[in-house]
Amino acid sequence: MKFSKYILLIVALMMFQTSCDDGFDELNVNPTSSPEINPQFQFTWVQLRTSGGRYENWRAGLIYSSMMMQHFASTCGYWTGDKYTWNGGYSSSLFDRAYLEQVKDMQDLINTLETAEASDPTMLGMAKIWRVVIFHRLTDLYGDVPYSEAGKGFIEGIDNPKYDAQDAIYADMLNELESGINLLGASGGFGSGDLIYGGDTNQWKKFGYSLMLRLAMRLSEADASTAQAWTAKAIAGGVMESNADNAFIQHTSGPEGINQNGIGQVLDAAAGFGDDCPRLSNTLVDWMTSTGDGRLDIFGVTPVNGGAHNGMPNGLDETTIQANPSGTTKDDFSSFNPLLVKVSSPMVFQTYAETQLLIAEAIKRGWATGSAEDHYNNGVRGGMQQWEIYDASLAVDDATVDTYLAANPYDDTFEQIGWQYWAATFLNEYESYANWRRTGTPTLTPVNYPGNATGGTIPVRMLYGGGEIGLNPNLDEALARQGMTTDFVNMMTVPVWWDK
Amino acid sequence: MKNHLLCFLFLLLGSMTALAQKRVTGNVTGSDGFPLIGVAILEAGTDNGTSSDIDGNYALDVSDGATLNFSYTGFASQSVVVGDETTLNVVLQEGVALDEVVVTALGIEKNKKALTYSVTEVGGENFSAARSMNVIQSLSGKVAGVNVSSTATGAGGSTRVVIRGNSSIGGNNQPLYVVDGVPMDNTNLGSAGMWGGKDWGDGISSLNPDDIETYTILKGNSAAALYGSRASNGVILITTKSGTNRKGIGVEFNSQVRTETVIDRLDFQQDYGHGLNGAKPTTQAEAMEQGLVSWGGKLDGSSVMQFDGVARPYSAVGSNVDRFYRTGTTFSNTLTLTGGDEKYNFRLSGSALNNEDVVPNSGLDRYNFTVKVGAKFSEKFSGTVGVNYINETVNNRANSSDAPANSNYGVQTLPASINVETLKGTTDKLGAIEDGTELLYNSNVFITNPYWTAHQVYNKSVKNRMIGNIQLRYDIYDGLYARGRISMDRYDRRRTDLLPYGTGFQPFGNIDERSNNFQELNSELILGYDKDLNETIGLSVFVGGNTMTNTFETVGGSGNTFAVPFLHTLGNAGNRSTIYNIRELGINSIFGSAEIAIKKAIYVTATARNDWFSTLTDADNTADNSELYYSAGISAVVSDLVELPSQIDFAKVRFTYAEVGGGAADPYLLSLNYGVFGQGHNGNPLGGVASGSIPPIGLVPLTSQELEFGLDLRFLQNRLGVDFSVYNKKTLNDIIAAGVSPTSGFGSKTVNVGSIENKGVELMLYGSPVKNKDFRWDVSFNYAKNNNKVLRLLTDEIEEGANRETIRLEESRTRSAYIEVVEGLPYSQIMGFEYARDDNGEMILDDNGLPTRGDLVPMGTGVHPTSIGISNTFSYKNMSLSFLIDSKSGGYIYSATNAYAYHWGLHKNTLEGRETGIGAVAAENVEDYYQAIGFSISEQFVEKADFIKLRELVFSYNLPKSKLGNLPFESVNIGIAGRNLWLISSSVDNIDPESTYTSGNGQGLEMFGVPQTRALQFNLGIKF
Repeated sequence: MKFSKYILLIVALMMFQTSCDDGFDELNVNPTSSPEINPQFQFTWVQLRTSGGRYENWRAGLIYSSMMMQHFASTCGYWTGDKYTWNGGYSSSLFDRAYLEQVKDMQDLINTLETAEASDPTMLGMAKIWRVVIFHRLTDLYGDVPYSEAGKGFIEGIDNPKYDAQDAIYADMLNELESGINLLGASGGFGSGDLIYGGDTNQWKKFGYSLMLRLAMRLSEADASTAQAWTAKAIAGGVMESNADNAFIQHTSGPEGINQNGIGQVLDAAAGFGDDCPRLSNTLVDWMTSTGDGRLDIFGVTPVNGGAHNGMPNGLDETTIQANPSGTTKDDFSSFNPLLVKVSSPMVFQTYAETQLLIAEAIKRGWATGSAEDHYNNGVRGGMQQWEIYDASLAVDDATVDTYLAANPYDDTFEQIGWQYWAATFLNEYESYANWRRTGTPTLTPVNYPGNATGGTIPVRMLYGGGEIGLNPNLDEALARQGMTTDFVNMMTVPVWWDK
Repeated sequence: MKNHLLCFLFLLLGSMTALAQKRVTGNVTGSDGFPLIGVAILEAGTDNGTSSDIDGNYALDVSDGATLNFSYTGFASQSVVVGDETTLNVVLQEGVALDEVVVTALGIEKNKKALTYSVTEVGGENFSAARSMNVIQSLSGKVAGVNVSSTATGAGGSTRVVIRGNSSIGGNNQPLYVVDGVPMDNTNLGSAGMWGGKDWGDGISSLNPDDIETYTILKGNSAAALYGSRASNGVILITTKSGTNRKGIGVEFNSQVRTETVIDRLDFQQDYGHGLNGAKPTTQAEAMEQGLVSWGGKLDGSSVMQFDGVARPYSAVGSNVDRFYRTGTTFSNTLTLTGGDEKYNFRLSGSALNNEDVVPNSGLDRYNFTVKVGAKFSEKFSGTVGVNYINETVNNRANSSDAPANSNYGVQTLPASINVETLKGTTDKLGAIEDGTELLYNSNVFITNPYWTAHQVYNKSVKNRMIGNIQLRYDIYDGLYARGRISMDRYDRRRTDLLPYGTGFQPFGNIDERSNNFQELNSELILGYDKDLNETIGLSVFVGGNTMTNTFETVGGSGNTFAVPFLHTLGNAGNRSTIYNIRELGINSIFGSAEIAIKKAIYVTATARNDWFSTLTDADNTADNSELYYSAGISAVVSDLVELPSQIDFAKVRFTYAEVGGGAADPYLLSLNYGVFGQGHNGNPLGGVASGSIPPIGLVPLTSQELEFGLDLRFLQNRLGVDFSVYNKKTLNDIIAAGVSPTSGFGSKTVNVGSIENKGVELMLYGSPVKNKDFRWDVSFNYAKNNNKVLRLLTDEIEEGANRETIRLEESRTRSAYIEVVEGLPYSQIMGFEYARDDNGEMILDDNGLPTRGDLVPMGTGVHPTSIGISNTFSYKNMSLSFLIDSKSGGYIYSATNAYAYHWGLHKNTLEGRETGIGAVAAENVEDYYQAIGFSISEQFVEKADFIKLRELVFSYNLPKSKLGNLPFESVNIGIAGRNLWLISSSVDNIDPESTYTSGNGQGLEMFGVPQTRALQFNLGIKF
C-alpha cells in the first residue's frame, strides 16, 4: 500500500497546489514587447509612419492625386486617376491606413505626454503640431472625418468614433497649432528623434506658423474672416524663412521597408519597385516648356524613344494612344526622374516656397501687408531650388532663377501663383490637390473618359473606406450632413466644406 | 445479460401457464459462418438453459412458444421465438453488441449503455480502400453532425471540421483532436485571405490512416466536458492500433496508388476574345494592356496580335485548365509489425507517402513511424508507451484568392482566345524570357504568369513532429486505481517562401525564411474507484488533475532585392529584417466524475471540472481567471426495464446537461504592448503600439451550455437501428475580437458578451435489408440539421432601433462582399451589396444606363445547416461494393471567380448586349455595364451552395484462402476506389460548391483556388 499512498499524496498535491494559478501572471506577459515606451522612440515612429507606406502613397497619392493634378499621365489600366474612374480601395487608401498607422500612436503619445508626472511641454507642443499634419491631410481628402474621438480606442474606449464636421475640425486644428507652438520651450523636445528638425524648437515654431498659414488660407472661400485672422496670426508669428526650414523626412534604403520612402517603393526601379506606368503629363511639360522652366529636367527625363521632352496627354489608354498624334506608346513620352523617387529620397511635407506663395496670395487678398511680387519671387526661387535635397546634382543656382523670373515676371494673377504652387508641390500630391480644389488654379482641362464616375470633371474628394459602411454607425450622419450616400462611386463630385 | 433475463422473468411471471415441452437443437455461428463456442442459451422467463459446444451445437428442452435468448460476449444478443420447428440455427452479429465498450473522455472506457450523451465510433477499416490522403477528409458524410469542409488549396491544405455548428463567434470552432490521449495541435499555420496567400496546412492531416484503429467522436459538451475548455467544440478521439497477444510476429503490408485529375467546371463564354470595346487589339502594347480582358471582337479565326507580339488565330482554344494542371499521383506504402504475449505487446509501423499534386511542380512527401508498446508488469501494474514521429515536406503550395503568384488565377482568367501554353515562353526556363525574368502577359504586373508561379516561384515547408505519451496504471486495491500520464505534442517547422529574382511585381525578388516550434505538454493524474457495490448498484468514480503548458515560438528572417541575380539566399538579399515571436499559455485543472449504475439499466453520471486560465490572468493576478463547471446526465435502458414489443431489441433514452468554460485563446490580450524596433531610423530607435486589438477590461471566462436528449433503438433482431439526438447548445460571455472602426486606431476589440446558439437534431439509421450467408446489403443513413443563431454580440443590451451589430470576419478581394457575424442571424453571413431597385423591383440605372449599387445586406450563411450522408454496402462472399453519397444544403457562397468573370468578360451572362448594347449602353461599351456589377454589386454572385456528390465508390475483394495456395500470406485484400466521382447536383455556376480558400471561421468566400479533383485509387493489403 506504500505505492498507493504515494499516488494519493500526488493527487492531493495536484489538487491543492498545481490547481492554483501560480506563475500565470508572469506567463501572460509578452516577453517580446514592452509595457511602456520612450516618447522619443514613439515620436520618431509616428513621423516615419506619417510619411507613409507604399500602399497609400501609391493609391491615393500617385494613382489618384498626382494624376488628377495632371502632374502625371498613364495608359495603364489601373492608373485610373486621370480618367476619373472609380476604384474604392485606391480612393480610401489613406483613410484605411492613416488611423491605424499614424493616428493611433499619435493619440497614444499625446496621452502619455499629457498624463506624465514630469511633463515636457516642448515634446507636447511638437506632438500637437504633428497631429495637425496628420489630420489636415485626412480631412482635406475626405471631408468630415473622425477627429475628436479618433484613435482613442484604448485611451477612452471609443470603438466607433463620430465624424466631426470639417469646419469644426479646422477650428480645432488652428487652436491646437497655436497651443502647440506656445508650448515649445527653449529646452526639452525629442532631440535627434525628431526626424524633421533634429529637435530645433525655432524651426518647429516656423513650421507651426507655416502650417497655420496653410490651414488659414484653406478657409479662404468657406470662411474668409477666420481665414484672414489666422493668416495674420501665422505671418506675425514667423513662418519659414528659407529652404533650410523645409519640413521633410530623409528616408534611407534600409535596413527595413519602414525606413524607405513610400513613393520610392512604387517607382524606384533600381530598388526593385519598378512601376513604370506614369509619364509626365503634357500639362506639366507644356507649361514648363512654354516658360523655359529648368525644373523640367529635374522632374523628368526625356523619352526612351528619343527626342525632346514630350508630355503624355491625360485620359489615354493603350487603344486610344495608338491614334494619339504626339506619341503612340508610353516610351514616346518623358518619364519621371529616378533621382526624385528613390527609396532613400526625402518625403516633403511643407516648403518655404509654398509659404511664400501663400503670403503673396494673402497680400493680393488684402489679408497681409508687403509686396506680393517679392513673396511670389521668393516662392518661385524656393520652388526651383528645393530639389537639391533629393540629389546634389539637382541644385539650381540663383542666376538660373533670376533668368526665369526675368522671362516670366510676376503678373499679379491668382492663376500664376497657382501654377507655381502646383509645381512646388510636385510629389506632395495631397497638398497639390487640396490647394487646386480651393483656388481652382492652375486651370486644368479635364478629360471625359468613357465610363468615368464624375461626368468628366476632376473629382473633388476621395471616399471613406467601404469597411466603414455597416461597421461604424456614425458614418450615416456624416454622409447626410455632407449630402452624400453610400453609393460612393457617384460621390467623387461632392466638394468638401472649404471647397466653395 | 443476467439482469436482462431477470427482467423478463418478473414481467412474464404472471402470464405463465403450463405448456408442453419439446426438444430444440441447432447450431450457433457468427456472421462469418464459424461456430461459436459457449454461447449462453436460456429459455426466457425460466432458469432453463445450456451453452453451445465446441462445434457451436446445442440442445435444449423448451416449452411450446418459448423464447430463447442467445448471448455471447462481443456479440449482439438475440431472442428467437420457438415455433413449430425443432431445429433452430442462429447467426449472431458482431459489433452491434449492447455491451460494447467505448472510449470516452480522458481515455476512460465505458459501457455504451451507460453513456448519457452521443458518441459515434468509426472504425479505421471503414476508410481503408477509399481513404483520402488526409485522414479527416475521409469522415465527410459519415457521421451525423460532423461537418467536414475541404478547401481548394491542394494536397497540403487544411480541412475545416465543425461539430454541431459554430459555437464560438471569433475563436476556434474546430474540435479538439486527441491521439492516444495526447491533445494534438491542429492550428492552421496560415491561410489565404483577401490579398491572396497560401494554406500552410493544419496538424491532423499528417496522421497515417493505416495506423488508426478508431475515430471516436464526442459531439456534445457532456461528452467532452472532462477535457475542459478546449473541448467545447467536440472532441475527435483517435485511437491507434495496438499489438495483440498472438503467435509469432504479424506482418502487414498496405500499398496504395492514387491518381487525381482536376475537374474543369469553368463554363465561360467562347464567343469573344481578348480585346476592348468590341475590338481585338492591333498592337503588342494593346494586347498586353488587354491580355486579361475578353471584351474584344467576335472570335472569327482571323489573325490577332497577342501579348508576345505573335499573331495567332482569333478563335477559342479550349480548356486551359486541362492544359495547365497535371494528373496527380500518390504512392502510399505502410509496413506494420505486431506481436505480443500475455505480458507485453507491441506494434511498429513505418509508412511513406509520396504525392505529386495536380498543380505542376507541387507535392507532398510524408513519412510516419509509430511505436506502441503495452506492458503488464504485474497483476496490478500496467502501462503503455507510444511514439508517433512524422516527417512531412510540402513543396510549392499553391496560392489562392488574389492574383500575385497565384497560378490558379492566371489560368482561370485567360480569355478564350489565349492558349495558356503560350505563356510558357520560348526559353528552357518556364514562364521566363531570355534574361531569365518573368514573361509578362498583361500590363498588370501583379497578375503573375502561371508558369512562372508554378516553376520559378518557390515555397517549401518541412515539419518534424513527435507525439508521445507514457501512461501507467496501478490497481491499488479492490477497484481502486491510479493512472498517471505524461504526453507531449511537439513539432518544428521550417519554411521558405521565395519570390525569385525577375518576378514582375517584385523584380529583384523576396525571400522569407521562418522556423516555428510548437510544444504542448500535459501531465495528468487520476485516482479512481470502480465497484459493483451489490446486485443493483455499481459505482464508478474518479478525481484527477491536469497541467497544460503550450508554447509557440517563431524565428525568422526575410529580405528582398537579391544582389546577385537568381542567387536566392537570405545572405544575398538586401533590406533584411528579422522576426522573433513567442506565445505561451497554460491551463491548470482539477476534475472529477461519478457514475452510479442501477441494475445496469439506469445510469446517472455527473462530472465537474475547474480550469485556471493564464490568458485571463492579469499582472496583479486579480482578474477572474478560473471557472468551475459541471455536467449531469441520465441514461435508461428501457428495454431492460419494461416489456416492449418483441420487434424492439433494445431501447435506450438519455438526457444530459453540461457546461464547459473557456479562457481567451490568445495570451497577452490584457494589456497594451509596445513593439520596439532597435535598428530604428538613422540611428533613432522606433517604438509604437504593438497591440492591434483594444485591450479589454474585466474579461471573464466564457461558458458553453448544452442540453441533449437522445434515443438509441434497435429492431428486428438488430436488422434496423436508430440513433437520434436533439440538442440545444448556447455559448455565453463569448470572448470576441470584435471588428471596430479602424478610425479608433485599432482593428478590433476584445469583448466578452457574445452569445451564440446551436439547436439541432442528428439522426442515424442503419440497417441490413438483405442478409444471408453469402449476400448482405447494409445501408446507413445520416441526417443532421443545425440551426445556428447569433444571439448577442457586442453589448449587453440591444438598443431599440439601433443598427444590427455585426463583426467582420473576412472580406473578399473584390471588396464588395464580407463574411460577418450578424446579431440575430446564423453564423458566417455573407454580406453583399444589392442592386439598387425602385419600389417595383426594377433596377435603378444611373445616367449612363449602368446598374447602381444598393444597400449592404445579409445574403445567407456560408455554413450549410443541413447535411445528409447515405452509404450502401453490398457484400457477396469475399467481395464488397459500397458507395457514399454526401450532400449538404442551406448554405451560400459568394463567388469572386464569377465576379471577376463579369469584370473581365468571361462569364456567359456577359454575352448579352455585345452586339446590341444594353439600354443606354452602346454595344462597344457593354463592358461598362458588366463592370458596374462585377466588383460592386455582390448580389449577382451570391448563390446557393447546395450539392449532392457521389463521394466514394469502393470495390473490395478478399482473396479466398483457397486461392492463396502455397503463398505465405494470411490474407490478401484488393480494393479499387474512386473519390468525388460525380457532382450529382449543384446550384453554383463555374465553380465547385466546395471551393472555399480558407479553413478559418469566415466561410462563404471563394476565389481562384485549386480546382477540385476526382481521384481513382488502387489498394493492396497483404497480411503475412
